Amino acid sequence: MSRVVNVVRVMSRAVALAWVVGAVSASAAEAQDELPGVELGLFYSNTYVPALAIQPFRGSFGGDAIAAQVEAIVGRDLRNSDRFEVLDSIPDAFIGSEVDYALWDRLGAVWLVTGEVEGAGDGYVVNLELHDVVYGEVREQGRFQLPGDTDEDFRMSVHRGSDEVVRWATGDPGMAASRIAFTMYDNDGNKDIYVIDSDGENLQRVTYYNDLTESPTWSPDGDRIAFSSFKELGVPRIYEVDRFGRNERMLPEVRGKGDYITPTYHPDGRTLAFTVNGSSTQSGIFTYNLEEDCCLSFLSGGPWYDVGPTYSADGRWMAFMTMRFGDHVPQVMMMPSEGGSAETLSPYEYGGGGFYAGPDWSPHGDLVAFHGRIDRAGRYHILVANLADGGRVLRQLTSEGNNEAPSWAPDGRHIVFAGERSWGFGLMIADVTTGRIRSLIGGRRVDLPDWSPSLPAR
Amino acid sequence: MIVRRFFVTVFAATLLVGACGGDPPPPPPPPQPDADSLARYQDSVRRAEEERRRLAEEEAERRRAEEARQRAIAAARATLEEMVFFDYDMSEIRNDAETALRAKVEILRRSPQVQIRIEGHADERGSTEYNMALGNRRAEAIRQFLVGFGLNENRFEIVSFGEGRPLQQGSTESAWARNRRGQFVITAGGNAINPGQ
Repeated sequence: MSRVVNVVRVMSRAVALAWVVGAVSASAAEAQDELPGVELGLFYSNTYVPALAIQPFRGSFGGDAIAAQVEAIVGRDLRNSDRFEVLDSIPDAFIGSEVDYALWDRLGAVWLVTGEVEGAGDGYVVNLELHDVVYGEVREQGRFQLPGDTDEDFRMSVHRGSDEVVRWATGDPGMAASRIAFTMYDNDGNKDIYVIDSDGENLQRVTYYNDLTESPTWSPDGDRIAFSSFKELGVPRIYEVDRFGRNERMLPEVRGKGDYITPTYHPDGRTLAFTVNGSSTQSGIFTYNLEEDCCLSFLSGGPWYDVGPTYSADGRWMAFMTMRFGDHVPQVMMMPSEGGSAETLSPYEYGGGGFYAGPDWSPHGDLVAFHGRIDRAGRYHILVANLADGGRVLRQLTSEGNNEAPSWAPDGRHIVFAGERSWGFGLMIADVTTGRIRSLIGGRRVDLPDWSPSLPAR
Repeated sequence: MIVRRFFVTVFAATLLVGACGGDPPPPPPPPQPDADSLARYQDSVRRAEEERRRLAEEEAERRRAEEARQRAIAAARATLEEMVFFDYDMSEIRNDAETALRAKVEILRRSPQVQIRIEGHADERGSTEYNMALGNRRAEAIRQFLVGFGLNENRFEIVSFGEGRPLQQGSTESAWARNRRGQFVITAGGNAINPGQ
């Protein structure tokens, strides 16, 4: 808590200072994206990535039918965590039924995961063990209940086990047990909301409005999704549904006429922050207490067009996009979440052409991701501002195509964003630490992804 | 008509009698209409015909005027609904848009019942949520321009579709230029447009 305050104090002093940016030589193609005083570059710390091996999972009491499937899910989750170098193509001949630490050590593994799936009633129990190969011992083990493999929570239950393995090995949370909500165009130019699991499986359609529906955002418990839609009224209003698109309710017109857009939940789950764009005297960022259905509060705005609020994890700060410096130079600012004076987070330069938008505050720590373009001719890239490192360190995560609308994973380490490449549109996931990027869903016109919190068993 | 039939009848009767041959009895003298009454009759017929023609001409004239008025209303409606376009990432009213908006002001002043929804649109570049805000700023810039001429603010509502409803598909400079626009929808008083003289 006090850390954030300190950071802001440091930032206030540092306003006149040059931006501190970790820069690596930018390629020739990126040279046009350079702004005087700010250098952007792909910069990744040379983190140690330990090698991890997975011994084929065993099954008993009917568990053998799905042991390979569970192993495949866990293996992919651990790869996607970007925290391990998962060893492939280990000859079966080397692998016996017992754990042979000397063998795994020779193959270069630091960690070894073993699993055993047992049939249990209608479902299964998977027993996962994390072995420390170097010390030749079991580091952690846990038993995880799985429903039947046709149950809609089956894969998510396996993901929860994977996330525990990540926690055992690194002390940090995983993000496999999560979903990503986003919008997708249909052939008529309408957009509806879909969700997909963090590993790219289980694509589901949530809304069937056949109109413009935008900006889905998860509630902190992962039970609900808020968004704006033109459905019914022909003007955007904010709605809330459960993740199956049911139990819909509309945020009342608490601020009169106008466009109600870009909702986000306070981390306490009770308050919704959003933008109303009505007349220039009525626009701005507001909050409304959903639980008590009351207490409209005005935070910021007026003729400035402040849009797309996002809360810090402790709920005390808010970042947003503003057009107060001009139409063509939107900037990212932050302010206390109860309102107050705002500071610019993006590298605004008077007279420059920098364009920064779409902020999302990390669930862990003082990082704000947004997308931006250094000058009017440039392309949009995902940027991460680190507020903790004695100033503002700005890092660029992407280097090709156009990249927009970043959203943090619950592990505070991965970011999903909408990418445009020569082959089309897609959602992509970048690992902030290694810089690795993978595709989540491609070839479709997708937009505005929002990563859920870790989804608990229900 | 009646007159002509009368003469035809007399003529036919004469032929019939002549065709009989032999020693016909002297034909009865053809009935001689009273000259005065015939004149009066023909006169009234002529007057009725003139009256009819006058009415028809009036009706045609009235119809022409109504058609002209409908054309003027349609033209005024088209002027009210004429789109205006914006520069890339800007919400400032361009010179060409200013001319189009001034033409709307004249009609709106004469037609106080007309209400309009101003729709702001953006091209696909820039991010979706930015474009929602940009569309709002464009619609609001148009509204403020119109209100600046003394028109009541309450006659206009604004809405932004962002980049969601392009006029022209495609990622070309010409498509983008068409898509950065303000559109106008008459929401009330559409049958009370006063096109002026």
